[in-house]
Amino acid sequence: MVETKRKTRDHNNRQGNKKRKVSSSKTLKSKSEKNSNDGERRKRTGPRLPNALRKELELMGRANRSNSDDEEIDSDDANDVYEYEEAVPEEESMKNRRFDPVENFEYELPNEFKDENVASEEDDDDSEDDGSREGQEGDEVEQEDGGRHARMLQEITGLPVEAFEGKKRKNDIVLSEVSNQRRILPSEPLVKRNREAPTLYFDEDVDLGFSTVGAIASEFEPRTEFEKKIAALVNDNEVLEAHKKDGARLLELNKISVEDVKDHQDRLAKMRTLLFLHEMKAKRIKKIKSKTYHRLLKKDGLKAAVAEMEMNPEAAKEFAMKQEFKRAEERLTLKHKNSSKWAKRILKRGLDVQDEGTRAAIAEQLHQHALLTRKMKSMKDNSSSDDSSDEDYGDDISDSSDQDRASKLLEKAKEKTLGVINEDGEVPKSGVLSLPFMVRGLQKRKETADEEAKLALEEYESSLKQLEGKRVIENVKKGTASGRRIFGAAKKHVEDSSNKIKVDNYYGSSDSEDNLEAQEDIDVDRSNNFKDEINFDPDLLREESEIGHDSFFKSLEDIVKDPGPKTTYEVAIFAADSWKKMSIKDNELSKCEKVADVNMKNSSKVNKPVLHDHDIEDVDDGSDSDSEVQMVDGILSSGTKSNYELPSQADLIRRAFAGDDVEDDFEKDKKQVLNEENPEPEKPVLVPGWGQWTNIQQKKGLPSWMLQEHDNARKKREEAVKKRKDAHLKHVIISEKLDKKAANLHTKTLPYPYTSKEVFEQSIRMPIGPEFNPVTTIGALNRPEVVKKVGVIIKPIKFEDVNPHERREDHNRSGQKQKKKKSTGASIKRNTNKIKVK
Amino acid sequence: MGVRQEDDINAKIIPPKEQEISDEIEIKVKKYLRGEGANLEVLHDKKLKGQLAVREELYGKSAKAAAKAEKWLMPSEGGYLEAEGIEKTWRIKQEAIAREVDILSRKNQHDIVLPELGPYTMNFTSSGRYMAVAGRKGHLAIIDMKSMGLIKEFQVREAVRDVVFLHNEQFFAAAQKKYPYIYNRDGTELHCLKEHGAILKLQFLKNHFLLASVNKFGQLHYQDVTTGQMVGNYRTGHGRSDVMRVNPFNGVIALGHSNGSLSMWKPTSSAPLIKMLCHHGPVSALAFHSNGHLMATAGMDRKIKLWDLRKFEVLQTLPGHAKTLDFSQKGLLAASTGSFVQILGDFSGSQNYSRYMNHSIAKGYQVRNVLFRPYEDVLAIGHSMGWSSILIPGSGEPNFDSWVANPFETSKQRREKEVKSLLDKLPPETIMLDPRKIGTMRPMRKKEKPSKQERDAEMEAAVADAKNSITRKKKTKGRNKPSKRSKKVQEAVERAKRPFLEEELSQKKKQKISEQSELPKSLQRFVRKTA
Repeated sequence: MVETKRKTRDHNNRQGNKKRKVSSSKTLKSKSEKNSNDGERRKRTGPRLPNALRKELELMGRANRSNSDDEEIDSDDANDVYEYEEAVPEEESMKNRRFDPVENFEYELPNEFKDENVASEEDDDDSEDDGSREGQEGDEVEQEDGGRHARMLQEITGLPVEAFEGKKRKNDIVLSEVSNQRRILPSEPLVKRNREAPTLYFDEDVDLGFSTVGAIASEFEPRTEFEKKIAALVNDNEVLEAHKKDGARLLELNKISVEDVKDHQDRLAKMRTLLFLHEMKAKRIKKIKSKTYHRLLKKDGLKAAVAEMEMNPEAAKEFAMKQEFKRAEERLTLKHKNSSKWAKRILKRGLDVQDEGTRAAIAEQLHQHALLTRKMKSMKDNSSSDDSSDEDYGDDISDSSDQDRASKLLEKAKEKTLGVINEDGEVPKSGVLSLPFMVRGLQKRKETADEEAKLALEEYESSLKQLEGKRVIENVKKGTASGRRIFGAAKKHVEDSSNKIKVDNYYGSSDSEDNLEAQEDIDVDRSNNFKDEINFDPDLLREESEIGHDSFFKSLEDIVKDPGPKTTYEVAIFAADSWKKMSIKDNELSKCEKVADVNMKNSSKVNKPVLHDHDIEDVDDGSDSDSEVQMVDGILSSGTKSNYELPSQADLIRRAFAGDDVEDDFEKDKKQVLNEENPEPEKPVLVPGWGQWTNIQQKKGLPSWMLQEHDNARKKREEAVKKRKDAHLKHVIISEKLDKKAANLHTKTLPYPYTSKEVFEQSIRMPIGPEFNPVTTIGALNRPEVVKKVGVIIKPIKFEDVNPHERREDHNRSGQKQKKKKSTGASIKRNTNKIKVK
Repeated sequence: MGVRQEDDINAKIIPPKEQEISDEIEIKVKKYLRGEGANLEVLHDKKLKGQLAVREELYGKSAKAAAKAEKWLMPSEGGYLEAEGIEKTWRIKQEAIAREVDILSRKNQHDIVLPELGPYTMNFTSSGRYMAVAGRKGHLAIIDMKSMGLIKEFQVREAVRDVVFLHNEQFFAAAQKKYPYIYNRDGTELHCLKEHGAILKLQFLKNHFLLASVNKFGQLHYQDVTTGQMVGNYRTGHGRSDVMRVNPFNGVIALGHSNGSLSMWKPTSSAPLIKMLCHHGPVSALAFHSNGHLMATAGMDRKIKLWDLRKFEVLQTLPGHAKTLDFSQKGLLAASTGSFVQILGDFSGSQNYSRYMNHSIAKGYQVRNVLFRPYEDVLAIGHSMGWSSILIPGSGEPNFDSWVANPFETSKQRREKEVKSLLDKLPPETIMLDPRKIGTMRPMRKKEKPSKQERDAEMEAAVADAKNSITRKKKTKGRNKPSKRSKKVQEAVERAKRPFLEEELSQKKKQKISEQSELPKSLQRFVRKTA
């Protein structure tokens, strides 16, 4: 390729000559020539050709003139071609010699120029080269476009020039309206076919070079030293022959010396050891985990161990053993005492000299030592249970011992508290303390202390209970697990507590009699209070004095009796019920004198109602949610019975009356919609004060134009109503409102080539996506108009015989197939490029 | 046309068996051609005509290839019950069917008894693989129907009125006491959609990713579940309604009202697309055929009506109550009231539904919801004591398309499909009565501007009128000169013409403005300002 290119470059200068020669010999009648012959003088008609082209043509013309005088130009023909006159461009107007052509020295030929006769073969060659190169050297070729191309085509195909001229005319828009009478040109079917083809292929004969590995390999040439050596060996005749024979000689050729083998072995061994060493190194390195990894691992291990210890007594035991062992070890070895070589060395040097890190390390070691050698009390606990004076460690291992101990402890505590409660009297008889107010104060303080003691006692009691029997625990669990506070359950709880108190009393019976009485008294009080506490919202109300919500409850009752519009009946009833119970309890409560006293006191507080309001809301919510719970309960109790409720009264009524007059309603509805979408015209009305100077207007009635307008509007509306889609459907309203967003999904105007809406809509009815079509047809459906690879040179069209009446059938065939078929065809059709004609 | 003729000729030669096959294929081809080709004879443009002819030929080939491929891609055929002699299909009990079917199908016959959390409703994913179950009293569960394994079950401890899957089994929405919630498959609450209020019924539009709901006050909400944007919020104006269904063909939502009317909605308009009076009593149930043409409604007036949605006419009226209705993929209609389920079918192909099968729930459990399982011959019935599933031969589509809904989907496929479906998400305005109209010419407005010719004709008429209307008053001498007369006529003509010309001018101006405004905002400043 390169070579040819160069060659053609060389020829470039000479080309002009050749061309000239060709033109003269063949006596071309290209229109441009005709034009250029007498172009200068006359006012020019026809299209404005590029300057360069014109120059070229001019040159040709001149050459013509110089060579042959017989050539005469019939201007008629020219007129025939150009039907219009184009405005003269600036450069041709010859106004101020601004654009006058420069004398063309390069192409100026001497007068005595003689034509030399060049062999026609070469000529052909050149021109063909030209053709193939046309795309590459755009500029040059562009300059000498025009007739040359036609000539070239003519030479190739051997057809008259007119054929190509016709084609060219079609290419050029300006030239297309040549004449009215149509001459069918031989190339027309070809053009027609190209026009009608849905797809044009331009990548048919692409030479991609080597196609197989073998082909590439066959081209291989040894270049480097090494390659040459190898090649020499491979192509060694001796070896080849040995191969061709039975191969016995190959052994002979393959002789190796002992040293060589040894060398080889040594090298191999060395390599292997190196590899092995490297492998070991890599193994070690791979095993090394990062610092973070170790840190995390340690953390995890610790965590797991702690968790395990908490969960599993066995593990705890083990852990303890381990600790013990460690301690013993430490005490034996004193490993962390500064006795290691490293530590000694550092100490010898002096700690002050060391840097911070070392000091910290030493300190850490010491700390470790201290930790390890410390007597571990927690561990001791298991082994020696007798020293139970300290109670801070609770992690006992065996359940039974734990319970025993706990119960003992609790009993002891209880005794003590009882002692505190019971040790009354001993009021100082003299001194400041014997003053009456002091006595009263003491009394009060004692009371509060007693109260506290009572509470503590209660706690002890309950915990004792827990230990003794599991029943209580179960109850409590039930209460807490339900998640929601249910009044019933709460009540149970209260009963439990009262029971407990009773038990307490029995317990107390073992004590002295007088104590018992007092205790009982207090107990009754307590139980009342206790009930109260549990029944009401415990969190909020405990802060207040336990008693004295009387007024609040009354108000609540009122509220509950007329429930808000949102709460359903069930809820209301339920709520009321529960609150009634409360109030009863309240009454009981109020029997106590003490309580009443405190009540009076507390009711004067201002901030109370606010709090209570809050409470009411809370309680309301609770009841609301409770209704659901109740429903669930109901189902639970009803079991397999179908629990579909009858529709409520309101529902029934609604249904009963719903069917009335639905048709009338609907008709009214429809009328309304119609009026909305096609508004009725306003009735003509005389505006008071207008046109009423006299009573003539009244007599005449409304002006006729007004009536007419109204009439028109009415008619229009009626028509519109009739045109509606739901005009014939009595029970259907189809909205005709325009959806602006949806309107964007429609085309405003018909796309270009279509002129009828129906045809357009039919043409888009088929989806062409891959989801909707088989793979075999999807390619054909979506193929672009022109198929061409990047970089492929589009060669000019060549003549080929096409039957004008034959219909193309191969449009869905792939380009490859087509190409194959074409390439196997006649040699003339070698270049069947199709150009899309614009 | 040519193709058909050829076939006719062939028919004489080829044996009857092949003839049958070719007939079958022809029917399928027709299906894939999606309607007739355009009449090219009316076209004057030869080039266009040629292009369209080529296109049509390609379409034909594509349709033929598709029809042929169908034979291989859709191998199984749906079954159905066939009665012999005096047998009736509706006398065949489930037990009798169980004896005949294979083990896998027998697995689909089951009753789940859950006595506590009250009447159940359910929803299937589009592939029918997963079922979401909601008990009225707060029980929510997802079940893998292939393995019959419980994926997740939890209680919300408040009333649950409805449950729907979103685009896949990963998410579902439950209409609870106060608000609807969206949960993921692990039962984690993802969203609480407070804007909706107390929802009675939920529907999910798969192609548009819209969650539609109607609440206690009869408000219809559309929410885009991908962006969370509230697309539409409309008052239906007919009070409380818990009858809602989406038309699978076009995404239009239909609501049944207590006054016996039915309204159809789209998310971009506040007025219903269609309002029709279906029953004299309240509408109690509603269902759509998957082809979008057929709708079944049931009312309190003891009627079940089948509607043709292309003409909005009743096709058939059947007596009977129905609290719940559902169409299967193959077009069987299940209707249920009390504890009795009835399946209707049209095997004649004439849209004439008749009794096909019956089933009554044991012990009189009250049915709340019936739902056909996609791609299986199974009807799921949610009732007051759990749910049961029965076999209805011929109800499900026998061949599934793994690009549409794959019952055997792997998690990777599911993820891929999720992305794809999100990319293919349709904007809400594409919901319209006939979605095939998208891309066609904008429908003519009533106030369409008259065409040029019409305008010219009008103008001429006006001019003629003006000319004729000039009455000559014979007044004083100088006034009746010919020049004056002609001048007068001219003036009258001009006056008549003026409004038309003005209109034309204003139109041109408008056009210019619209042309200018078609440029993007950023480029408008570069437009040359012509005087």
